[in-house]
Amino acid sequence: MSEKIVISPTSRQEGHAELVMEVDDEGIVTKGRYFSITPVRGLERIVTGKAPETAPVITQRICGVCPIPHTLASVEAMDDSLDIEIPKAGRQLRELLLAAHDINSHCIHHFLIAQDVVPADLMVTAINSVSEIRKNVQYVVDMVGGEGIHPSDVRIGGMAKNLSEVARKRLYARLKALKPKLDAHVELITGLVADKGFPKGLGVTSAPAVASHPTYGDGTNFDVDRFTEILPESWYDDPEIGKRACSTIPLYDGLNVEVGPRARAEVYRGFNERGVVAQHVARAIEMKIALSKIIDILAELDTSAPVLADFDVRGTNKLGIGAIEGPRGMDVHMAQVADGKTQFYSALVPTTWNIPTMGIATEGFHHEFGPHVIRAYDPCLSCATHVIVVDDEDRSVIKNEMVRI
Amino acid sequence: MVLGKYKQITLARSTDKQIQNISQDGGIATGLLAFALDEKIIDGAVVAGPSDEMWKPEPTVALTADEIMAAAGTKYTLCPNNWMIKEAVRQYGLEKVGVVTIPCQTMGLRKMQSYPFGTRFMADKIALIVGICCTENFSFESLKTFIEAKAGVNFDLVEKMDIGKGKFWVYTQDGTINFPIKETHGYEQNGCKVCLDLVSELSDISTGSIGAPDDWSAVEVRTDAGDTVFSKAVDAGLIETKPIDEGKFGLEMLTRLARQKKEKAMKEIDRRKELGLPVPYKASSEKEDPLANI
Repeated sequence: MSEKIVISPTSRQEGHAELVMEVDDEGIVTKGRYFSITPVRGLERIVTGKAPETAPVITQRICGVCPIPHTLASVEAMDDSLDIEIPKAGRQLRELLLAAHDINSHCIHHFLIAQDVVPADLMVTAINSVSEIRKNVQYVVDMVGGEGIHPSDVRIGGMAKNLSEVARKRLYARLKALKPKLDAHVELITGLVADKGFPKGLGVTSAPAVASHPTYGDGTNFDVDRFTEILPESWYDDPEIGKRACSTIPLYDGLNVEVGPRARAEVYRGFNERGVVAQHVARAIEMKIALSKIIDILAELDTSAPVLADFDVRGTNKLGIGAIEGPRGMDVHMAQVADGKTQFYSALVPTTWNIPTMGIATEGFHHEFGPHVIRAYDPCLSCATHVIVVDDEDRSVIKNEMVRI
Repeated sequence: MVLGKYKQITLARSTDKQIQNISQDGGIATGLLAFALDEKIIDGAVVAGPSDEMWKPEPTVALTADEIMAAAGTKYTLCPNNWMIKEAVRQYGLEKVGVVTIPCQTMGLRKMQSYPFGTRFMADKIALIVGICCTENFSFESLKTFIEAKAGVNFDLVEKMDIGKGKFWVYTQDGTINFPIKETHGYEQNGCKVCLDLVSELSDISTGSIGAPDDWSAVEVRTDAGDTVFSKAVDAGLIETKPIDEGKFGLEMLTRLARQKKEKAMKEIDRRKELGLPVPYKASSEKEDPLANI
């Protein structure tokens, strides 16, 4: 006889989602379904019909946790649609920005999983380590992006400004000094995840790994012909869930996929392990890769080089694809520009790719591991416009089906 | 107190011959910032640097004493230095910023520091505010118009401008022309009419020519930060001081002009308030001391 366990909303993640697990007599999950209950996002609609420069500014507001991948994916899509070749230094600054953000975001995730893996006596050490690293990498984001949260200096055609030589040297020294701290942090987290003793095979699925670039992102590696999008009603076999799920189901070659640090490691670095532990390890290792990339770029960057290309804003209605490897996976923005206006815009955000896979990943183990499996994906069901229907006459809410936390 | 709070008021000038040659009066703003940079009290400064157009300053981040010197001398037009602070702490990566400001900009910076909304990690990086005295300021086109009309010289030929002894002075290769400062009224920007601050009351250290003999500046040392840098510069022999004349052409004049500016502005504030216009100051009836800068 099967029982249904519902966790709603799932905790220690960004946004609201629900995990529904059917379990057998031993408590083993036989069927897992994970779906977003964060309501409608209308951002793609908002940018349509406006000047292309509007899109990066609006779409970065998709989320305050990873605004940088969204901004970058948006400008990359616009660059592609408008056929812009950005200057080398502009590209370096973009890569620098993303790498710094990647470390920051992974660090935040370590904060979220601290309750799961860090024992009480090491909690203060772990949190201080997270704070120290974040402080340093956010300093890079501040300077390169212009703002720590929603970067103002990422532009279509490159970046608004180059760094000064003083800033470059200062950042180089600071980030070089961060290396031993970050190495220690990675060792601490991977050690603690190993100590936790998750059961072997937890979270392993057969979903193919998808990534577009080892570190930055490359729109040409995202084949739009292999991509399909279906409605949740036809994905979830429970009609009630199909109706309540708020995100569409993206498929690649007709299959649900996995994106994120582990997927990147599998596609580009021959990392073959799968499951919860592998995801934590891949994420931690990626922090080291990102830091060494930051240091390399800062060593090479020519601070007197131009960073912004001239371009014709009118556009030819070419479908531009911007793929950015965000901390939580491949973030794809697609844009078409004609007559100086955005004609079409679509964003396929990282967690949307992972949503259909995450429920399945809980299957085969005790339901108590369910939340651990979910958190290993670091899901981010970004903040959204919460739509309520109001009667204009008397200002009352006539239909309120919003999530209550 | 119409001159704001200060620890010390004195006459001072830079002892550096090079600075004396290029500066407006005593070369205090230039000398102090260059000294603070050498002493690593600041790691860069936002100053009104030269632009492509003569007499049109541009907010510039100066990282060397030479760059600070290139910005020496008063330009009687607007230069939005505060606007450059963000770039100074972001793209330039400065952590201790020095800045030269006129009174209205000083107020803006202090407001930003007390309520850093939208200026995250910026307000706390301002290490030294050198305020300059200001009676009024002109938009670039106004300045050009009245100089060409009243002094009758081509604006491009002007080598120095100055306000002193009730007159606006224009120096060219061929000679010096002056006209009463009253004749510039009507050309100043609108905000100056409600400004209650002559001497940058909220700065760390303020400097200006009013109340000082030629080639000297009257300096008010106001905060601990201002005091530290000023006394270090004096000890190092880069700035010489002498007591300010208490009499008619010294402190008395400075006080009188500061009071006059406040009284005139207060009248205008009250008038605008009565008309229901938005004014960022309290009306005289709303405050204890009608001359307070609030």
